[in-house]
Amino acid sequence: MAANVFPFRDARAAPDPVLEAGPGALGPLPVPLVLDNGSFQARAGWACPGPDPGPEPRLQFRSVCARGRGGARGGAGPQVGNALGSLEPLRWMLRSPFDRNVPVNLELQELLLDYSFQHLGVSSQGCVDHPIVLTEAVCNPLYSRQMMSELLFECYGIPKVAYGIDSLFSFYHNKPKNLMSSGLIISSGYQCTHILPILEGRLDAKNCKRINLGGSQAAGYLQRLLQLKYPGHLAAITLSRMEEILHEHSYVAEDYVEELQKWRCPDYYENNVHKMQLPFSNKLLGSTLSSEEKQERRQQQLRRLQELNARRREEKLQLDQERLDRLLYVQELLEDGQMDQFHKALVELNMDSPEELQSYIQKLSSAVEQAKQKILQSEVTLEVDVVDSKPETPDLEQLEPSLEDVESINDFEPLFSEETPEVEKPVTTVQPVFNLAAYHQLFVGTERIRAPEIIFQPSLIGEEQAGIAETLQYILDRYSKDIQDLLVQNVFLTGGNMMYPGMKGRIEKELLEMRPFQSAFKVRLASNPVLDAWYGARDWALDHLDDDEVWITRKEYEEKGGEYLKEHCASNIYVPIRLPKQASRFSDTQAPGKGSGTSGGSAGEQA
Amino acid sequence: KKVPAAGFTQGISMEAMSENKMVPSDFSTGPMEKAAKPLPFKDPNFVHSGHGGAVAGKKNRTWKNLKQILASERALPWQLNDPNYFSIDAPPSFKPAKKYSDVSGLLANYTDPQSKLRFSTIEEFSYIRRLPSDVVTGYLALRKATSIVP
Repeated sequence: MAANVFPFRDARAAPDPVLEAGPGALGPLPVPLVLDNGSFQARAGWACPGPDPGPEPRLQFRSVCARGRGGARGGAGPQVGNALGSLEPLRWMLRSPFDRNVPVNLELQELLLDYSFQHLGVSSQGCVDHPIVLTEAVCNPLYSRQMMSELLFECYGIPKVAYGIDSLFSFYHNKPKNLMSSGLIISSGYQCTHILPILEGRLDAKNCKRINLGGSQAAGYLQRLLQLKYPGHLAAITLSRMEEILHEHSYVAEDYVEELQKWRCPDYYENNVHKMQLPFSNKLLGSTLSSEEKQERRQQQLRRLQELNARRREEKLQLDQERLDRLLYVQELLEDGQMDQFHKALVELNMDSPEELQSYIQKLSSAVEQAKQKILQSEVTLEVDVVDSKPETPDLEQLEPSLEDVESINDFEPLFSEETPEVEKPVTTVQPVFNLAAYHQLFVGTERIRAPEIIFQPSLIGEEQAGIAETLQYILDRYSKDIQDLLVQNVFLTGGNMMYPGMKGRIEKELLEMRPFQSAFKVRLASNPVLDAWYGARDWALDHLDDDEVWITRKEYEEKGGEYLKEHCASNIYVPIRLPKQASRFSDTQAPGKGSGTSGGSAGEQA
Repeated sequence: KKVPAAGFTQGISMEAMSENKMVPSDFSTGPMEKAAKPLPFKDPNFVHSGHGGAVAGKKNRTWKNLKQILASERALPWQLNDPNYFSIDAPPSFKPAKKYSDVSGLLANYTDPQSKLRFSTIEEFSYIRRLPSDVVTGYLALRKATSIVP
């Protein structure tokens, strides 16, 4: 019973201190700042060769911000990254500048940059006086690069910037220096997975492919799987805990179908299921609300219904009353002997004879009487209801559904672990006498391999795109045989989502299946798939400090626009299309750019 | 509306169309006072030109999301072989998808005609038949197999 039971760590991030830049960072030449701007995490630090301020990134924080708890508190302002502590209480208020892997909300990006600069100890007045190396998405849209350059140059006044791709920086870090490199990079991040062929040190951009699945989709999938399996623990199955399960308890099966067959066997299941222990909570079975809350809700609903009915009854009563009065008046006409008027009225009322009128009057008056009685009755009960806050009858009503819930959940339990007959079953009686610990455990069995599998088989979550293996084949088929061989000799895996145990073996097996018989290939994993992009960018910055052909200076930004890019060994390919400047600098007129003026106009009007 | 403060002289003239931008440090006492002290390395008068879109600042206050950005990027004069964000998308799969059980993830040979969930063993079938309808739709939505409401 104690085997394979794991608690959730539920780690909280510690807030970052505001660091001193240190003498190394204030050398004669301004030291470059390296910022790996990822959709999951941002990593920032100085690029200086010496031990001070240290080789690793000084800041690593989640790329999210949120206002303080309880709405916008006066003066607190939005908090970023590690200052938020635990993310779960704020889950619905978290905002990220990223949409997939591209930053689109530059205000939030500005907050993240503020945070980074502030905590790194940037002390220059009036501008950030350091060159910046920034990562961007593969084939970053020109618009977002324009916005980013504008933010960096206009708001922060940096002298020069270099944009690069994180996986290419990681590749740069991991290759031996003198090797002329070609290879195939498979980089899987939080939002998407890229397959990038590199030929002679440069990205072959037109043959890259991107699968829109990554760590966040895997976490979401795992979360929904567990929530559907354990509907009673809906609130406790949080995304942070899912990420914990993915990071620590999941693996990639080398042969998915074979591994599933293994999981069918009850012994294997018993030995390999990971039972995640949720913290104890007092909630009743089958309900996410406590019993008092349920009662409250029932009462409220009852009250509302009663009020509605009472109102309707009153209206109907009024209408009936009016009609009755009219008919009585007509009857009086008869009694008074005004025959003409009486007959006219009868015709209006659509009736043929006084007897019909009489019977109608009788019916109406009895209905009115009944309505009045009912109203009186309901008023009385309404008062009684309000006075007595815990009425008896709702209790009984409530117990019954909860009884059913208990039974049905108890029936589910043996079926979850369908492979194990002797898991501890909760007793199927009314009183919750059963193993409380087991109730609060999430059995993570095949989910351990299902969640990471989505990048290989996107059809698991209904995506139409091809998985890694098929895309790999598609890309390789676009090259000639010898280039294929060249590429396959150097398959490089990087990115946080590649860190599952068994990933390398799986890629090797896929390659074995698709390559010609007895051809060679080699797969390597990055030394630190998460941080290598930052390290690579730092190495690159140190190697290219004096190289003017890779940095975009302020002057070039002003002349050639924000979307300008200088290509280098780790960058995107620049396609020289001018975007018009986005308007608000000039009061009402839009400045048409050279070339694509109309598209700029339409860009503005798009809702 | 707001008169830009003298600002740090960096040789840029900023026309401040700052109707809606909350400037963190505005030395001319504006109506909005933030408790955060101004960060020294920033230009206090900076206004994002992207915010509010290219058209009038009052109307369109939100940032474009990726879909909108890509839609406007498509309209640019790309050549056939140029790499751009949407040409990089992986193609749809040619191979038929394997069917896995919604409940346990094992290979599923059978489908429940009533709820369209896939299952692999008899116990799973009885489990599926007892599920409340929201869980059933949840499983179907997970693999994007929910039926379209007429």
